[in-house]
Amino acid sequence: MRKELREMRHRVRAKGHAVYRRASAPDVLSECEAEGLSWPRRVARLLRRQCEAETPVILPGERIVFTRTVPSVPPIYSEKEWDALFAAGKRHELGPISNICADWGQLLHQGLLERRAVAEATRAERADDPAAREFVECAMDGVDAVLELAARYEAEARRMGETETADVLARVPARPARTFREALQALRFVQAMVWLNGHYHVGLGRFDQYMGPFLEADLRTGRLTVAEAEDLLAEFFISLNKDTDLYPGVQQGDNGQSLMLGGVERDGADAVNELTYMALRVARDVNMIDPKINLRVTPQTPLDLLELAAQLTRQGLGFPQYSNDDVVIPALVDCGYDLEDARDYTVAACWEFIIPGKGMEIVNIGAVSFPAAVNEAILDGLAHSADLEGILERTRKNIRAQVDAQVDRCRNIILPPAPFYSVLMNDCLEQGRDLSTGLKYNNYGLHGACSANAADALAAVKHFVFDRGELEPSELVDALITNYDGREDMRRRLAREGPKVGNNDDRADAFLVKLFDFLADACEQCRDNGRGGILRPGTGSAMYYVWLARGSEGMAEPVVGATADGRKRGDFFSSSLAPSPGAPVRGPISVLQTYGKIDYRRICNGGPITMELSDTVFRDPESIRKVAMLVRTFAELGCQQFQLNALNADTLLDAREHPERHRDLIVRVWGWSGYFCELGPEYQEHIIARHMHGLT
Amino acid sequence: MQKRRREPAGDEPCGWLFDIKEFAVHDGPGIRLTLFLKGCPLRCQWCHNPEGIDPHPQTMTGPAGTRVVGRRFTPGEVASIINVQADILRANEGGVTFSGGEPLHQAAFVAAVIDRLDDVHVLLDTSGFASEADFRLVAGRCDLIYFDLKLMDDARHRAYTGAGNACILANLRVLAGMGVPYVVRVPLVPGVTDTPDNLRRIAAAVQGLPGLERVELLPYNRAAGGKYRAAGMTFAPDYDETRPCNTDTSPFIEQGIEVRVT
Repeated sequence: MRKELREMRHRVRAKGHAVYRRASAPDVLSECEAEGLSWPRRVARLLRRQCEAETPVILPGERIVFTRTVPSVPPIYSEKEWDALFAAGKRHELGPISNICADWGQLLHQGLLERRAVAEATRAERADDPAAREFVECAMDGVDAVLELAARYEAEARRMGETETADVLARVPARPARTFREALQALRFVQAMVWLNGHYHVGLGRFDQYMGPFLEADLRTGRLTVAEAEDLLAEFFISLNKDTDLYPGVQQGDNGQSLMLGGVERDGADAVNELTYMALRVARDVNMIDPKINLRVTPQTPLDLLELAAQLTRQGLGFPQYSNDDVVIPALVDCGYDLEDARDYTVAACWEFIIPGKGMEIVNIGAVSFPAAVNEAILDGLAHSADLEGILERTRKNIRAQVDAQVDRCRNIILPPAPFYSVLMNDCLEQGRDLSTGLKYNNYGLHGACSANAADALAAVKHFVFDRGELEPSELVDALITNYDGREDMRRRLAREGPKVGNNDDRADAFLVKLFDFLADACEQCRDNGRGGILRPGTGSAMYYVWLARGSEGMAEPVVGATADGRKRGDFFSSSLAPSPGAPVRGPISVLQTYGKIDYRRICNGGPITMELSDTVFRDPESIRKVAMLVRTFAELGCQQFQLNALNADTLLDAREHPERHRDLIVRVWGWSGYFCELGPEYQEHIIARHMHGLT
Repeated sequence: MQKRRREPAGDEPCGWLFDIKEFAVHDGPGIRLTLFLKGCPLRCQWCHNPEGIDPHPQTMTGPAGTRVVGRRFTPGEVASIINVQADILRANEGGVTFSGGEPLHQAAFVAAVIDRLDDVHVLLDTSGFASEADFRLVAGRCDLIYFDLKLMDDARHRAYTGAGNACILANLRVLAGMGVPYVVRVPLVPGVTDTPDNLRRIAAAVQGLPGLERVELLPYNRAAGGKYRAAGMTFAPDYDETRPCNTDTSPFIEQGIEVRVT
């Protein structure tokens, strides 16, 4: 990477541009109340005032511009009124639409003015439909506000003598992009506007697909050399890290700026292009936490692409995350997605599969706690002299009850209007409908959390109580209730000697498969989630590996005490698809063989196999190639999603003691990566523990 | 695929392993499964697997508690662990590696395991310290041998490994006549094995040997002593661990021998 870019990266990391930030956001609430504005008009007014409050800032040497100066998103309702808006239903997370993905290609090919013209036409056609009329007027107002800010940026660039930048801004985002630089600028600017409007986890979608044609045209006509294009792309990636400290999330870094590379086109043709490779190279060299890179693979993906991806993994960022087209696409089709749309999938913030421009899906409405379902079944079953079948039947019912409760809780989610975000989706303007009223796909996703511990607990009961008779049911029940107090020998035996998920051992894996079958069965009972969609079960855990073990304010799911896999109360669970923390596991191949057994046709919300490899594994090109082979093996074994981490345990321990020495140390947390030193202590602890029990 | 399988002959010799490592990326070509056999007749000062020396089970005590190291397996059990991954290992240009300890210390067991394997590439990682019969028994069943040469001077070999090198050099000559390809590997221990004189003598010894694929020089790993305390043993090298080792490949290049530093 050139020196100028390294310096830019350093300045962004040091947040030097924060000096340009205003002290506070503009007051929007007063005028909304004084004018008695409707909800959609308030959201539009918010964007207008936010844009007006922005001061154009063009940093030295910058070619992809926009630096946010408004530090927050001001309220558009008083707290009381805000709560009242959701009184008849349920608010999802913070409220505003999040965790979906726009059709960025549509923006680049049409420009905002053409989108505005569509809105204008709809307004004329639907003159007798006040709701449609209000929606398109709000959308047009948003477009105008954004373009006014773009014009002020253009003027600032001219004032500074940055003629090229000014010319780019004179063109985009108003009109269709013609060059790679214009396309990157349009994307940076408009994505930032979505954040500014109060949305969050703003996904970047299939970046190499919508951006690749601009790159290829520039390279073909000689407008750019490969090196120049890489510089622009590096600058774009760096720019995505500028405002991340202003974004909401469970932890810093959890901001959903994920993008997808590779895969197939809508007609099924191989979609890997020049930009697929370039994005991996540049992400490796830029080495920052945004954007979070995903790569679609199949067993046929060429090893050279996977080797490049492994080089990125070696940086320790925790990405790329891989998903297997051969598994994901058929599952989405089974779930009701059109084949062409399924082929167009990307991921939401973490790993959940969604279709850009076509999905108003809520992919994380909650989690089913497998450990709670199993633990209650074991305690109740053993207390009532149940056999293994009795315990499994209780487990099935508990999972069903949890799913039903989640469905009930979420049947009436109220989504705030999002007129400007709707501009970037398919068919909203055309039909005069805000995206919050629904898009082509409106499914919910439910995490199946902490499966390994739960499966291990069932396997332990079968092995020690029923098969071998080494443990009396009452002994185990007592031990669980008393948190193994005075029974350390028993606990160690359960933890170390029982069959464990991750060893390609059917004695444990069969229970893993069964838990997900129960979950899929329960979700299939829900024919309508209340928004015309279904319930998609997944294999992720997000923050639940910590929350289910230790609780969190406002969490609907119960905290789980000691479990029959030898885990004590308060100890963390496994994250997404990974063996139980501390369980004896033979190694990466066995782990993949275990997870290849899940029926992913029915479990299609996503959630990666999570694996830690020592950074020594990546030391030379030959071993990088072997990591690439491991990824290919993941695909060959029919697994769905895979996330590899390169870690050094000593570095982590030192970073905990001496954060000042490791400011730039990046780690994968769950579906995202963050700076280790910025994480809460419980997350630091889990990452260290995960690696101490690492596989290699 | 049952390329290798032979009928088990008579009694099953059981064996002891102290570890099984999947996705071993530094133990031979491709993705490998490495089996660590317990027990070694040598006492190399720089041994980094002290729990592989004693042929019997022992305890290791670390921050996570105490565990027993060393488990008894039948050849069939070990073979099935490998065979269930054979397709994957083969598809990824890899196979199984027998390491240790010294795998030839349990030669009959290793041979019995190999006889039960499906079509999978077999690599023997050995010190060469074994009887000729044991050496032939296993090496003849392998696709590739990693053969260690440490010290050419017999007295120094005795001083640093507890045994002379005569049978090692004899087995190297046996290997050269077997038609099984092999790599000679030299652990570079600062001031001990990495001396210009020792490297020159190793180059002279292997020069022109039939079947030699290359020589690999393995720079000293400062983590060598890491596991001694846990194993209740003392790590007491009489060389200076902190000295950078000599990775000069010219003695080999001058003899026209392919050499790598890994």
